[in-house]
Amino acid sequence: MQPNIKQSLDIVSLVSIGQHPQSGRVRRAEQDGRAVELGMNLGGDNLTVLHAGDPQEQALRTYAGMGLSSMQVLNLDTQDDAVPALADYLQQLRPDIVLTGVRAESGESSGMVPYLLAEKLNWPVVARIADIVSVEDGVAEVMLALPRGQRRALKVALPFVASVDNAAPEARQSAYGPGIRAQIEPLAAVKEEDAVRSNWSEAKAKPRPKRLKVVKAKTAAERFKAATAKPQGEAGKVLKGVPAKEQAQEIFNLLLEEKVI
Amino acid sequence: MVLDWLPSVLIAVALSLAVIGAVRRVSLWRAGQPDKVDLIAGLMAMPKRYLHDLHDVVERDKYMSKTHAATGGGFVLSVVLILAVHLFGVDNQILAWALLAALVLMFVGALFVFKRRMDPPSRISKGPWMRLPKSLLAFSSAFIILTLPVAGILPEGTGGWVLTIILSVVIAMGLAEMMFGMTWGGPMKHAFAGALHLAFHRRQERFGGGRSTGLKPVDLTANDGKPEILGVSKPKDFKWNQLLGFDACVQCGRCEAMCPAFAAGQPLNPKKLIQDMVVGLAGGTDAKYAGSPYPGKEVGYAKGGPDQIITQGLVDPETLWSCTTCRACVEECPMMIEHVDAIVDMRRFLTMEKGSTPNKGAEVLDNIIATDNPNGYAPANRANWAADQNLPLMRDVKKADVLFWVSDGAFDMRSQRILRSFVKLMKAAHVDVAILGDEELDSGDVARRLGDDAAFQSLAKRNLEILSQYEFKTIVTTDPHAYHCLRNEYGDFGSDALDGVEVLHHTTYLNRLVQAGSLNLEPFKGGTVTYHDPCYLGRYNGEYEAPRELLRSLGIEIAEMERSGFRSRCCGGGGGAPITDIPGERRIADMRMEDVNTTGAELVAVGCQQCTAMLEGVVEPRPEVKDIAEILADQLIEEVH
Amino acid sequence: MSDVIRRDPRAEWIARNRLHPLHGTIAVGDDAEVRGPSGLLRKNPHKVGFIGPNGIKRIDRLKGNGAASGMGRRSSGPQEVQLPLHSVENPDFYIVVVPDLVGGRLTSQDKDILGQAHKMAKDIEGKGAVVAVCFGESKEENYDTAGVDRLIHLEGEEYEGFSPEQRLAALVQVETSLQPKHWLFPDSVNGGTDLGSRLAARLGERPAVQAWQVTHETTVSRGASQSLDITRETPRILMLLEECADAIDETRHEVKAIELDSVPRAIVQLQDQGQVAVDPNAIPLAEAEFILSAGNGIHNWDQFHETAAALGATEGASRVAVDDGFMPRFRQVGATGTWVTARVYLAVGISGAIQHMQGIGQCDKVVAINTDAGCDMVKRAALSAIGDSEEILGELLKLAQEHRANKGEEGEQNAA
Repeated sequence: MQPNIKQSLDIVSLVSIGQHPQSGRVRRAEQDGRAVELGMNLGGDNLTVLHAGDPQEQALRTYAGMGLSSMQVLNLDTQDDAVPALADYLQQLRPDIVLTGVRAESGESSGMVPYLLAEKLNWPVVARIADIVSVEDGVAEVMLALPRGQRRALKVALPFVASVDNAAPEARQSAYGPGIRAQIEPLAAVKEEDAVRSNWSEAKAKPRPKRLKVVKAKTAAERFKAATAKPQGEAGKVLKGVPAKEQAQEIFNLLLEEKVI
Repeated sequence: MVLDWLPSVLIAVALSLAVIGAVRRVSLWRAGQPDKVDLIAGLMAMPKRYLHDLHDVVERDKYMSKTHAATGGGFVLSVVLILAVHLFGVDNQILAWALLAALVLMFVGALFVFKRRMDPPSRISKGPWMRLPKSLLAFSSAFIILTLPVAGILPEGTGGWVLTIILSVVIAMGLAEMMFGMTWGGPMKHAFAGALHLAFHRRQERFGGGRSTGLKPVDLTANDGKPEILGVSKPKDFKWNQLLGFDACVQCGRCEAMCPAFAAGQPLNPKKLIQDMVVGLAGGTDAKYAGSPYPGKEVGYAKGGPDQIITQGLVDPETLWSCTTCRACVEECPMMIEHVDAIVDMRRFLTMEKGSTPNKGAEVLDNIIATDNPNGYAPANRANWAADQNLPLMRDVKKADVLFWVSDGAFDMRSQRILRSFVKLMKAAHVDVAILGDEELDSGDVARRLGDDAAFQSLAKRNLEILSQYEFKTIVTTDPHAYHCLRNEYGDFGSDALDGVEVLHHTTYLNRLVQAGSLNLEPFKGGTVTYHDPCYLGRYNGEYEAPRELLRSLGIEIAEMERSGFRSRCCGGGGGAPITDIPGERRIADMRMEDVNTTGAELVAVGCQQCTAMLEGVVEPRPEVKDIAEILADQLIEEVH
Repeated sequence: MSDVIRRDPRAEWIARNRLHPLHGTIAVGDDAEVRGPSGLLRKNPHKVGFIGPNGIKRIDRLKGNGAASGMGRRSSGPQEVQLPLHSVENPDFYIVVVPDLVGGRLTSQDKDILGQAHKMAKDIEGKGAVVAVCFGESKEENYDTAGVDRLIHLEGEEYEGFSPEQRLAALVQVETSLQPKHWLFPDSVNGGTDLGSRLAARLGERPAVQAWQVTHETTVSRGASQSLDITRETPRILMLLEECADAIDETRHEVKAIELDSVPRAIVQLQDQGQVAVDPNAIPLAEAEFILSAGNGIHNWDQFHETAAALGATEGASRVAVDDGFMPRFRQVGATGTWVTARVYLAVGISGAIQHMQGIGQCDKVVAINTDAGCDMVKRAALSAIGDSEEILGELLKLAQEHRANKGEEGEQNAA
């Protein structure tokens, strides 16, 4: 669906370096890709794609491959905090809309960047948007993504910061050719070391234990039973040779029980 | 007398027009990109290629081969003699008689062409081609009459004015078609362009019985690593000899008759595609095209030019994505045109420049880039299937006789059955075999056929890097696609990892084991068995015999399908076709299963996991589908210790 | 039943009288003493005593005299257990929990987080009270057993619907009046993350998000798309994952209301336009909660679509149904189609090719309707109906329509 845009928009899509969940390899981040896609659909040529980090990073080419002629990169080292640099840059650029992903796929992935930027710029922030339906007279109509495919409509005045949910239109295919040809412009940036982070320790994620059904046994017999009893039979119930009506009723009861109706 | 000088003038005029046309045509081809071809050697080898390689293909249709030999041979001979007799006026009875003989030969040939055209099969083009037999007859008969006086059969000046005028008109007609039309785009263009195409073919290795099936790599290093264009967007982005090749098409439609996508009603017709390329290189529309259209698409709306983007108006991208790269068209083409090369070249543009690989294409390519397998599985799980197989890893042993290239079947539960069967056989034969485990990467086949040559090259280079660390004499794989890449396409990347290494398909290797008596097998007792030739094993690599021999060694008499061997019909699983999934009227796999059903077979033996998956995707009831390794493993008599 | 313990003189008499014909059925302690063949009284040590409430064996010294009364209690059936009240007078500090309250009720994640709050409060010196800040209409009745010591309930139209700005203003007010030691939010798509992030940004605190192992000193949280565990000092603001701690289940809490000073009205920049009706079929297959999936066994496609609409299910299909052109390609479920995560997957006429089974691997409850009782889908299913799909779907459709009609009536009555 083509958004209904009645004014020229300056849009900034912030992108980070993603990480593939299976291989851990750097890639275009899922949500950031959607932020660029949304930006391209809205802004056309007035789109700035901005990254804070290493301008040499190859994964940036996968964003460029979506058909960007250039990208801006605030040159930061790994230990630097991205927010001051971004805020400073946006302060000068004064765009209408800043789009980000909900959470980065690497690093802390706190999802705080849009909130911190909004706080610093004193703009409203909208989290988890699925689409921007229209922009008219400085007011945007935004679709918020709610769980299980539900949506909420929202009106917000420009300028604002929005984080883009997985429910937003998928990022277009990244092509190799435009990717390698795109101009990546490194920009000098405000450097502030992320001091809090230096006190952390990071480790590969341990699998989280699944919560067991804890039996609060008051007696030894109950404890014994809880420890030794076989788990409830996994085999499914098969209704055979039963009238269709009863079968349907049984299925319907299950659906009610699961609260899907 | 008019008859004295008119023919020579007409000939001279036609000849000079032909030369102008030829220069013009050559300049059209030269709009293409340079390609290194030895021009002199090519021209020298051309007659042999014509009589040998081309004729071998034409010979599959005995009627046409004889007709063509008579017509074509008669024509070439008579043109030479006509020039001598009628243009330069060499007055020699023997020459005239020879000319007469040549013309009669041509005349007879033309009669058969005429007969063929009375009720033509749907695959051949109509339109201007329908007038060709008449032109041939006109040309030969007119010159016969013209030559009769020279040969001394008729006195000079027979017939008078009327005959002279009629004869002149007929000669003009014939000459127009045969000389002028040859270089100005008439049906006879095929002779002119075809001859040069044979001389300057892009795959010279194909002549003399050779095989050249590996795709040519895209030069990613051009312009300091930033090539101006990747793949083919406009006709002039093709190599010049590819353009020449398109012009050689005779529109015989044999490709169309063989194409599985065309038969399935997908919007692809290889003949029309080549004709659209001709429209593109010369500029104009396809309004004059008089053959079968792309299924579901009307003729007359395609427009193009050498500088216009092909997929914007000339060819619908859907057409390009319908191809399964099965090479049935290439195998069948008497002019040895390379359809698949052209299709993949254009796909490269769509994928690497436009980013418009349809349907699941983008997702699959992203997965390949990020996880080295098309389905995005964790690369660390690649060797999980072999957890209970007790297979040594190359990382540990460094050296083995045979390296088993597992390919992406490692992630698929159905394919794992094939892998296990193969390992069982290898163990029974006490072969020193090892696998790469999770060091192995996707071969890049799918990425390459989907047009992402950058991803393919990256995979190929990394695979070669890993291979170069270990020592082995043979690579065996159960996947013909990986087999093709390793054997025919990895050679372009300047690695010595595969020097002196024999790359084999598992059927070839197992056949050797069986012939050497290393496997103790009991005869097969099931019902009728047929064998489906995987495209990437058969047409791409010429291995038709080993799988059949293996089946025969089990006492199986193969109930061959009508389309088997080099004419085998694709399962529909190649070239990323299941990923791009262009809708048609039927599914290719269903048609192939119908082929199987006509043999009455209860079991289809296959040598490819992709074919297995495609054929098993046909709705039951249908014959069972098994890989040859599985059939053999079932018949294996295991030693009891 | 009455809780008053009553003596049963008859039972006591029978218990005393070993010669009474009913003696064996009543006497409990008696079984332990058996008259041996030689006439000697024998004690069976295994029969002596009973298991006490803590699982420890107790010997009843009442010699069966208390048995009758014990039996009387036993017969009074399961009783309402009054959990001990955990009360905090004059707390030294507060830990504030802001539950999601989906549909006006505490979610299981909310309860876990209340449990987490108590776990932290216990470890910190001094007496701490757990405060829940609830917005909008609340239907929750069990704040006490969920572990809420203090409740701040903010109602009014300014908190209804989507109102993060007003809620933030209230939280800032809580911050100034209570100076909580910690703020705990559920890290969820139901608003917890959003509100927590807003507060963190406003207060300038660095929060820990996706936290899952928290003590009052250190926090382990997930980062880098769940692939990293970050261990750090526990910050003031935490957003916690599901099952971060156990919910409260052994105590009752006061649920004392705290009244806030007036909360300033926030300037609302985000104007809520209300929820938008979404066609279940427009929900992407991968996100759908309930999928009705069709395979080769479906012949009446109109009926199938109608049933899906009546059940409010998202439509899926097997590869064959897609290949045959009955369903569009993007509806295909399986390894070569979409991998679905539905809670309930109702497969009609799908026998379950391996690729399909892979694609529904994450589904919670699979229901199969099939003619073949031996197919893989039936083996996987929690409930299978073997029979003609058209007939069963027809009945199901009827049920769904009735259900809908009833619901409609109910709704009208409620409105009235």
